[in-house]
Amino acid sequence: MENAKDGDHSVTEESPAAQAGAESIAKQAPPEQQAQLLYPEETIDLGGDEFGSEENETVSEDSNHFADKLNEHMMESVLISDSPNNSEDDVGDLGCLQDVVEPVEGSTDHRLDSNTTEKEEVDALSNDSETDGDDTPRDVSDMTPDSRASLKEDSMREDVKGRSSLGNAGAEELMPGGESADPEEQGSDLSSSQSSSRDEPVPVCTIFSQSNSAPSQPHLFLHDGFESQMVKSPSFSSASETSAKTPPQVVQPSPSLSKFFGDTINANSLASDFFDSFTTSTFISVSNPNAGSSVPEKLSSLTAPTGEESPDSADPSYSAGMARSESGVSTASLEIPESPKPFSQIQTVFAGSDDPFATALSMSEMDRRNDAWIPSQGTRDVLISVATQQCSTVFIDKENLTMPGLKFDNIQGDAVKDLMLRFLGEKAAAKRQVLNASSVEQSFLGLKQLISCRNWRAAVDLCGRLLTAHGQGYGKSGLPTSHTADSLQLWFVRLALLVKLGLFQNAEVEFEPFKSLDQPDLYYEYYPHVYPGRRGSMVPFSMRILHAELQQYLGHPQESLDRLHRVKTVCSKILANLEQGLAEDGGSSSVTPESRQASIQLWRSRLGRVLYSMANCLLLMKDYVLAVDAYRAVIRYYPEQEPQLLSGIGRILLQIGDIKTAEKYFQDVEKVTQKLDGLQGKIMVLMNRAFLHLGQNDFAEAHRFFTEILRIEPTNAVANNNTAVCLLYLGKLKDSLRQLEAMVQQDPRHYLHESVLFNLTTMYELESSRSMQKKQSLLEAVAGKEGDSFNTQCLKLA
Amino acid sequence: MEVNPPKQEHLLALKVMRLTKPTLFTNIPVTCEEKDLPGDLFNQLMRDDPSTVHGAEILMLGEMLTLPQNFGNIFLGETFSSYISVHNDSNQVVKDILVKADLQTSSQRLNLSASNAAVAELKPDCCIDDVIHHEVKEIGTHILVCAVSYTTQGGEKMYFRKFFKFQVLKPLDVKTKFYNAETDEVFLEAQIQNITTSPMFMEKVSLEPSIMYNVTELNSVNQAGECVSTFGSRAYLQPMDTRQYLYCLKPKKEFAEKAGIIKGVTVIGKLDIVWKTNLGERGRLQTSQLQRMAPGYGDVRLSLEAIPDTVNLEEPFHITCKITNCSSERTMDLVLEMCNTNSIHWCGISGRQLGKLHPSSSLCLALTLLSSVQGLQSVSGLRLTDTFLKRTYEYDDIAQVCVVSSAVKVES
Repeated sequence: MENAKDGDHSVTEESPAAQAGAESIAKQAPPEQQAQLLYPEETIDLGGDEFGSEENETVSEDSNHFADKLNEHMMESVLISDSPNNSEDDVGDLGCLQDVVEPVEGSTDHRLDSNTTEKEEVDALSNDSETDGDDTPRDVSDMTPDSRASLKEDSMREDVKGRSSLGNAGAEELMPGGESADPEEQGSDLSSSQSSSRDEPVPVCTIFSQSNSAPSQPHLFLHDGFESQMVKSPSFSSASETSAKTPPQVVQPSPSLSKFFGDTINANSLASDFFDSFTTSTFISVSNPNAGSSVPEKLSSLTAPTGEESPDSADPSYSAGMARSESGVSTASLEIPESPKPFSQIQTVFAGSDDPFATALSMSEMDRRNDAWIPSQGTRDVLISVATQQCSTVFIDKENLTMPGLKFDNIQGDAVKDLMLRFLGEKAAAKRQVLNASSVEQSFLGLKQLISCRNWRAAVDLCGRLLTAHGQGYGKSGLPTSHTADSLQLWFVRLALLVKLGLFQNAEVEFEPFKSLDQPDLYYEYYPHVYPGRRGSMVPFSMRILHAELQQYLGHPQESLDRLHRVKTVCSKILANLEQGLAEDGGSSSVTPESRQASIQLWRSRLGRVLYSMANCLLLMKDYVLAVDAYRAVIRYYPEQEPQLLSGIGRILLQIGDIKTAEKYFQDVEKVTQKLDGLQGKIMVLMNRAFLHLGQNDFAEAHRFFTEILRIEPTNAVANNNTAVCLLYLGKLKDSLRQLEAMVQQDPRHYLHESVLFNLTTMYELESSRSMQKKQSLLEAVAGKEGDSFNTQCLKLA
Repeated sequence: MEVNPPKQEHLLALKVMRLTKPTLFTNIPVTCEEKDLPGDLFNQLMRDDPSTVHGAEILMLGEMLTLPQNFGNIFLGETFSSYISVHNDSNQVVKDILVKADLQTSSQRLNLSASNAAVAELKPDCCIDDVIHHEVKEIGTHILVCAVSYTTQGGEKMYFRKFFKFQVLKPLDVKTKFYNAETDEVFLEAQIQNITTSPMFMEKVSLEPSIMYNVTELNSVNQAGECVSTFGSRAYLQPMDTRQYLYCLKPKKEFAEKAGIIKGVTVIGKLDIVWKTNLGERGRLQTSQLQRMAPGYGDVRLSLEAIPDTVNLEEPFHITCKITNCSSERTMDLVLEMCNTNSIHWCGISGRQLGKLHPSSSLCLALTLLSSVQGLQSVSGLRLTDTFLKRTYEYDDIAQVCVVSSAVKVES
């Protein structure tokens, strides 16, 4: 009933507008008269009038109402609720079915009612009682040939029929033996009425008025003599060109709902956006002043000076941190007993090595290579003054220091378990066992364990704990602190996981204190006592990439590009230095040729990585031409990925709709893979052919190619999923479901991917009204396999 | 009627889903280096993710197809496709099922079902599937009406319907402008604006001329034997982008003779536009017949047949004029006068008799003139007098020539 009311509401909104339209003036005439009027066939679209002549308010109201309906991929029934008896319409129908021998008078009254109260066509469709009336003449049309005319008129304009249908309604009710009520009869009646309406000449739909003077038309081109043109579907061309003069319509593009490629307004169009409502949820940070003290003893390997201490004090705890970072390989550090001795660094380097000197040397070579970075001029000056002891670090402006701290201290939670509690009960939920931050070793080892079993939320928590132990915990932001290579690695892992989880806002607030990752205290030179002789930046290169990319996920792709360009400039500079025989940072060097070569290789691949990110960012910005260029540039740095990248470019072009150019790229892929000849190349070629057929709207052929891939590699997840999608478009829902279900059962560990599950749940919803049970069984499957980072949105349970 | 229980369960459930093209899954690449804390972990996670591209995990655009997430927008000229599924939710066999899908627009009602035959029976947990397609030809509100009728095991005839409403929007804004050249050629500029919210690949924008004209598309240039679009590599239109197409129309020979007397509104032709969007989703529209108001030429039209574009200063050059009697039935007797202007000096005799000119006929006239001023000069000063009516027609600014100093070598 709510639905029906809703409909009534919208109808009242629409009617004044329709009356405003020139064509609908006649509607104001009483229905009695209308019934006798025969409208010319070119009468125009009511909906169209609304757009043109209506007040803005009304339009938006209407479209809002509509937008609500569009929010789901399943088409929502507009006014009639699931149960037929909820609406008057079906009540009417049922009444018809059951009370076949209802007295004529009664039914006539009923029809009369419906016809007098409703005047508009829109009503005819959306209003329940009118749709009932709308049915009636159709039934009649088959029984009495004479009423054909009225039917014709009816299908063109509902409001014209008035009296004739009224009469016919009576006739219908007089028919004996429930014949008129037979649903099948009704069905065939329907079809006959359809055929008759199809035969009729089709009016030309005018979308553009030729007059430019209407106020609602943009006046942009008025002065230069451009004229708006009507556009219509070509199949209409045979129809008369008489273009009814409607006021020009300003189409309000409804907010685009397709996030991947359809959307333009919202640049933040990532896949995870759909699924992950967490991305937008705001965190309520719980203050946890005791976070530091609650950290278990085992954390000690990270124990760093508390924020109050001045960073350059060479203190035992420092050396502990330093020792670990010097070791380079973090796993090694875990085995090293904590040592308060100031020279533990050297011991660490020596540990477990046959030739300690060689190891030390190569380690520092590798460090130099990896950590190299070119600071900005200001930062360089500070670093030089630190090195020459001209000033104590104490005097450095607070502005130039990096003072990070946790901005929220507990995001832990397991959405899968929450859903299980809600849908499967406590008992089932109790079975769900995932690791949390406390159930693993409070160290890098435990952290890695959490990451690899996909408990990223717990891993984020653990990073938080470890950072708290380092004095950068909750509420420590803005307080002076010191950095070690490890603390920065922890920050990198934490922020990277937040991004992976789609918690971009959270990552953003915690990234903020790092500014542009160029403050002097992020360089080894700033801590000459802790890292004697070591140069370069403590910020991992991947963190710079992450720092830049984060902005695009927050809807600032331009900022992302700016940051990426800055990183790219430094990479290029370092490469240029290396090629000129200098050290990475431009200093003179005594680097061996092999080491130089290794360094060039490293920095080339880093430069390629930056270009890759740029290409991805341009893709998000929908600047496809530049994105294609950027991906082509990436090929130079990662030649081994050429076939994949060319295929990717082909898919981009398919997405835009440029099938021909896409085909060219796919052909290039075939040329490249011919040289390789391997299983993977074959699959790539088949995949591309399948996509090309998709682009040509040939789902059957696409299906054939996807199945061909499965013949070569039956476990190919993409081919499995895509085959299923093609089957659905071919009208084979059950087959499609079987395909996907088999795939998920075959290897749940691998195939419980959000994209697959999303497709599966979508099909369940389409299949029957009992999709809930099936979704819940999926939830159970997920619960057994997936960690806390699983994105529950794709199950569409909520 | 009111006696019915508020919610009577139907045995069958009807579900409808719009089949827009599937989209490709995009993932968020997060990488790290060997030396970083997670080691190879992040990269391993990406390799394990089935939605990434094997061997190129950083590439954001994957290969996994995902079903449409929402109804989306539908635009005029596109094809509306929908999956209609009728599922037997009950545990009894249902008989004589008939599913009908109609599309009600503001002007007509169309049957979209592939078949109108009834299905004899439907076992529990089975479905009847149908995929309907319809090329949208009208703007505004459309309502998909799905009707299902069936017979229960008990022989009870059941019937229900569902209504799905959607709006069809306008995808393009088309504006045109005509430019009449000195000759009979007509140039058409067409501005096409993408007013959807997604990029649009313009597959074809062509002008289908009316029978009177031949058309030349001026939207590509010949570069080293290859036809290159004037729009460069940017083959698609971003939302709200406008692109301008240019066409040159020449009247056909048989009509060219009479071109001088084409008056009033003429039909030029219509634009045929084919575009594609996501994964080749196709749309096609045509404008209505474009109409041009032929410029009024009065009774006598003077048009230019030949004129050099660049001439030397103070050196005579030749032009060829065509004089057409545009009047309907009046024969004219014409006298040509040539008046010098500041820069243009006519050579030859002014006041020359041109003889009788019959209606709709024309004559060609070679004239010689020179310019005494450099720069772009307007050819003016021709006067035609009809001695029968004693009416004089003035022809100024007939054409422009570029006058250069004779020291400059004139090419061609």
